[in-house]
Amino acid sequence: MTPSVEPLLSLKNLGKRFGSLQALEGVGLDVRAGSVQCLLGENGAGKSTLCNLIFGVYEPTAGDMTFDGSAWAPESPAAALERGIAMVHQHFSLVPRMTVVENLMLGQVRGVLKRHEFGARIRDIAESFGFALDPEAVVGELSVGERQRAEIVKCLMRDPKLLVLDEPTAVLPPGEIGALLDICRRVADSGRAVILVTHKLAEIAKVADRVAVLRTGRLVADESMADADMGALVHAMVGRELRPLDVALAETDEAPAEPADAPKGFALVCDGLTVHDRHGAVRLDNFTLEIRPGEIVGLAGVEGNGQSELGMVLAGLLRPTEGHFYIGGTDLTHAGAGAVTAAGGGLVPEDRHAVACVTGMSVAENMFLNKLDRFTRFGLLQRGALNTAAQKQMREFDVRAASPEVAFSGLSGGNQQKAVLARELTLDPLVALVAAQPTRGLDVSAVEAVYRQIRAASRRGVGVLLISSELDELIAVADRITVLYRGRLVGERPAEMSERGAIGALMSGQGA
Amino acid sequence: MTALALSLPDRRRLLGMAVPFIAVLGSMIVGLLLIAASGKDVPDAVEAFMDGAFGSAFAIGASINRAVALSLVGLGFILAFRANLTNVGGEGQIAVGGIAATALGLWPPIANLPLGLAVIVPLLGGTLAGAFWGGIAGVMKVRFGTNEVISTLLLGFVALLAVYWCVQSTALLRQPQTSSATLPESLAIADSVKLPSLTGNSESPLHIGLVICLLLAVATAVVLQRSTFGLRLRAIGLNELAARRAGMPGGILLVVALAIAGAFGGLAGAIMLQGEQYYLKTGFSSGYGFDGLVVGLLSRGSTLGVLAGALFFGFLRSGGISMEIMAGVPAALTLVIQGLIVIAVAGSVILVEKLQGGR
Repeated sequence: MTPSVEPLLSLKNLGKRFGSLQALEGVGLDVRAGSVQCLLGENGAGKSTLCNLIFGVYEPTAGDMTFDGSAWAPESPAAALERGIAMVHQHFSLVPRMTVVENLMLGQVRGVLKRHEFGARIRDIAESFGFALDPEAVVGELSVGERQRAEIVKCLMRDPKLLVLDEPTAVLPPGEIGALLDICRRVADSGRAVILVTHKLAEIAKVADRVAVLRTGRLVADESMADADMGALVHAMVGRELRPLDVALAETDEAPAEPADAPKGFALVCDGLTVHDRHGAVRLDNFTLEIRPGEIVGLAGVEGNGQSELGMVLAGLLRPTEGHFYIGGTDLTHAGAGAVTAAGGGLVPEDRHAVACVTGMSVAENMFLNKLDRFTRFGLLQRGALNTAAQKQMREFDVRAASPEVAFSGLSGGNQQKAVLARELTLDPLVALVAAQPTRGLDVSAVEAVYRQIRAASRRGVGVLLISSELDELIAVADRITVLYRGRLVGERPAEMSERGAIGALMSGQGA
Repeated sequence: MTALALSLPDRRRLLGMAVPFIAVLGSMIVGLLLIAASGKDVPDAVEAFMDGAFGSAFAIGASINRAVALSLVGLGFILAFRANLTNVGGEGQIAVGGIAATALGLWPPIANLPLGLAVIVPLLGGTLAGAFWGGIAGVMKVRFGTNEVISTLLLGFVALLAVYWCVQSTALLRQPQTSSATLPESLAIADSVKLPSLTGNSESPLHIGLVICLLLAVATAVVLQRSTFGLRLRAIGLNELAARRAGMPGGILLVVALAIAGAFGGLAGAIMLQGEQYYLKTGFSSGYGFDGLVVGLLSRGSTLGVLAGALFFGFLRSGGISMEIMAGVPAALTLVIQGLIVIAVAGSVILVEKLQGGR
């Protein structure tokens, strides 16, 4: 572990624009041989884009790269491989029905297949980096971790100078993460450079030499691991510039309705919810939480720690492996999405386009997607009434569109989110609202509007579960904050600015 | 000059009509060249074609009857397609519809029913049989994730062989075997079961199926454009997860959509049997299911498009048959020409979209 003086890879003022989206801007970074460079950032921060620029998948729209002493402007991944850069993608590119050796020979051999020789080489490489890999195993029968190791060997067979791993730990069960990090360390120690992309902080401490943080396409931190402070990294990752959010919310803040006129009992109860994914990895682990009517409970956590699964379970779209959840006292664990809606469970999903709306349909149709029966007479849709109702609701919730009949896809992200929120908040009855990352990608005014509406709902006695990785927002809006880490609820703190550090530590898996 | 004076939308509309028209004309010319290349007399062939398609009241009536069957399959196709389901099983749905209509029509208690029920009950029976056949594919999709393209297609083969079985076995629908020359066919249905003529004139075979078809076309248009059910199908087709999240019964909608598509096919089969063929025989469905699928695909979801396409194919088929019989043009060649026209129409639709800059 003796980093050389000259960086192996050097990025200067690198930028990438997709249409109107500036995915990366002004990124400068040096990666040295023999070191592990971690790259942190939330979903959409530009980590994958950066890797793809280095690997030649995309061409940068600004800036320069230098690799191994000369200018680096790859026109394709093939050129990158040729030059000594290999990449393990998030999604594996292995043929499940073929063996490891067959997979690895693809594209690397010509003419006569020397299967045994090749298999022996695979074994050697794996051993030299401290793990075992059976070349004759059928890929489809391997665990995710073993498949990933096969991918890594595939890269290492080309003897690269730089190995890029795009979120390798996201797919792994916790037990296999340590082994992967060990491999990364050994690869770096063999004199190569490793770029490791992740959004899990705890992993960084174990393996990184340097850590850089991307946020909305810009490099917001770049420091040596020895100097890095976990709390500061969390802040760099999820924080936002200071803005008048708190002020705006304070203005509308009134005393919450007393539970006297609110429905009895809890609005939302999660009792030991556990979700295993297809590979048996635990995504949500014995999640228990009770939310009273009128209460806003924040659920903080770095993304990928079980929030998506929790959202899907509470939407009635995913059956938990174990546990139950209740809305207004009704057990809805296995009842399905329609019953959740009928019982008064509103949901603003994390992935708006996939779960919340049908972008090819009109604004009015989307705003009443779950209430179409109200506008149906003799099986026919009363479009006039639907559009009038939509117009009214658009005014009420400040959804800006030319008309209720324009396509939903034509709306800005903020207006789409306000429309989804309007639909869920106008459920009758509305007992509990689960809002997952409701402000992602929204501008300041839309963020305020969203939180104003959520607060107004809570004053009417709705119990709100607010899932977010925006700590400042949670502190401003929630009554108390719980923290999710690797699928488990690891702590609860009051929603106060002074608790920021403590919550950040919980989010990064410390003090759990 | 006039074309230049037109406003942009007008020019686009003109383009939208001109390109498919030219494409069809072009493919027809290629077809004529093929006929010439095969050594047949082109004017003879053209005359035979026109004769068979439009030459007489009989020819026109027969062509429209063909169009009715094609329309029904096409209408069912676009309904299911609204939910992003591709029903390629029209052929089999026609077959089971035909079997059901034959079985019911040959059963004396039904054939003797009054008030037109002798006609209606077999029609409904055929419709239900088709709905059941389509519904199987729906259930397979929802329960086991079987792709409906594969299941409807394979169920089609099962149905075609079922027809074969029915007409081969005297225990089923085969007519009593009086001699070794008795054909493997069912008995003909009684007159009371046959669809009433629309013209009251024995010159034209045009039957009441046309009225049923037009009524159903209107109903389909209303369902697709005005009904909540149509909107739900659309939501499921565009984003199943969001539709289910909004409380729509995703699985049931998919099964119902395929059952409706099947019902249209089954009705087409019953109408073909009760309207024209009168007895069941092997090869009864004779490609109408696949032609109806093409009609549905080319219509791009429009009810009027289905009717227009079905008319076109109906006349084309009549003309083709006549060309084969009267001018000796091989049936395979008419199929080639038909294929050319399909490619021309489909291709021109894509071309028009490109020229108009739409995506």
